[in-house]
Amino acid sequence: MNDATSIKPAAGRPSSGAPAIEARDLVMRFGAGGPSPVLAVDHVSFALAPGEFVSLIGPSGCGKTTILNLLTGLLHETHEGQLHVLGKPPREGNPDIAYMLARDSLLPWRTTLANAAYGMEIRGVPKQERETRARDLLKQVGLGDFADKYPKALSHGMRQRCALARTFALDSPVLLMDEPFGALDAQTKLTLEDVLMNLWSTHRKTVVFVTHDLAEAIALSDRVIVMSARPGRIVADVPIDLPRPRSVRKLQSDHRFHDLYAQLWGLLEQGATGDE
Amino acid sequence: MNKWLRLSLAHGAFIVAFIAVWEFASASKLLDPTFFGRPSGIAAFLWRGFVSERTLWNDLFYTVLAATIAFWAGSIAAVLVGLLFAMLPRLHKACEPYLTLLNAMPRIALAPLFLLWFGLGIGSKIAVAVSLTFFIVLSSTVAGIRGVNSDHLVLSRALGATPGQIFFKVTLPSAVPIIFSGLRLGLVYALLGVVGAELLAAEHGLGQVLAYLQSTFDMDGVMALLFLLAMLGLSITFIMNWLERRLLVWQ
Repeated sequence: MNDATSIKPAAGRPSSGAPAIEARDLVMRFGAGGPSPVLAVDHVSFALAPGEFVSLIGPSGCGKTTILNLLTGLLHETHEGQLHVLGKPPREGNPDIAYMLARDSLLPWRTTLANAAYGMEIRGVPKQERETRARDLLKQVGLGDFADKYPKALSHGMRQRCALARTFALDSPVLLMDEPFGALDAQTKLTLEDVLMNLWSTHRKTVVFVTHDLAEAIALSDRVIVMSARPGRIVADVPIDLPRPRSVRKLQSDHRFHDLYAQLWGLLEQGATGDE
Repeated sequence: MNKWLRLSLAHGAFIVAFIAVWEFASASKLLDPTFFGRPSGIAAFLWRGFVSERTLWNDLFYTVLAATIAFWAGSIAAVLVGLLFAMLPRLHKACEPYLTLLNAMPRIALAPLFLLWFGLGIGSKIAVAVSLTFFIVLSSTVAGIRGVNSDHLVLSRALGATPGQIFFKVTLPSAVPIIFSGLRLGLVYALLGVVGAELLAAEHGLGQVLAYLQSTFDMDGVMALLFLLAMLGLSITFIMNWLERRLLVWQ
């Protein structure tokens, strides 16, 4: 129904050549050198073009969060293989990256506005500018009227909206999201997914989105990377050719969405049982 | 509002009835006023002490002054040491057994020692009160800093926050409510320490007056002093509640 006005999926756009994120033969062992090292990520390779939205999906323990933590530089254990964010190896506090967790992690003593501005404050954005940007982003996520409220007065969905505002206000070219809507109920989740889609279509960022919700991965992404159970390997890398802009709610009744779901579900099942 | 009015009327009626029964029982010798005092005598004592002869003002002043000094000194020292422990966990670990030992000791037992060291003036009772306040505020400061939400730390580190930024923007504000509950207790204990030390020996102070009245069998005076100390404790609680509401609106 929205085919006529849709733009091409990002994966199909001509990319500038250099990938925004690249992993080559990434291997990660926990407790390496110890008596029983655990192989968490096994020779994983993928690349994201700038502005691409890619989901990592797989059963829990498949190493998807590990990959995300390696990209943020929060994981200090050494890994094998290459990992690059905008051509540079990962490091903690990289200003090119905005990171969003499953829990909103709003600071309860800060108002919605001050929480939305928190990331910018840490990164040294001048006061006037960060307030203007935080207000603007709060408006975009539908929290314009709640700027002066404390988190205790907000619902789960509203708190996660505020976390979205905080993340996008950073204006970092790369967004790493670790199951950001994992703790929400189904209805709120759909709403927030649409909020994310709107934000992403205005502020084109490269996004790595970790989730275990297949429908969410398909609805949001240009590509879905399916991983197997531990040790995490890539089972499939599937382009999602649903037209954009998308409405996650409308997709729920779209047959192509369901075809992709069925196809990917098969791959996911294979990976989950380790039967490759 | 109506409910509040009814409730306070009920409390008022109860208190009036209680005092009336007490007064009647003392007048008719059902209750020995030598051991229990009588309300009219207590009221007269307070009137003399605060209005006609004004002798109690001075003692009230010394007690409140000592408790206030002890509270500030003990709390500031405790918060600073708590923050130091947060920055140097190994120092904390090294000091912990000694602190536990000191904290386990009934602090009022230190009063005779402090009296010898600091004399009968304000110094000895401040020392006793500080020894109580310090440990209470210290343990709440440590608990508050330990209780910081790890998600907040992960987020801040991913944002590239410096240790100083993390401390002032995350750790410290998140510890404030628990530190505050420690301060509330610390103030009550500061009063306890001061009055306890005064009971033993002091030049001035409500505790000293209480000990003197008890030794001269002035029960009206003893009861009046107990009432006064209860009121003092109550006003501390009111002040701390008010402060908490002002400072911790986000809770």
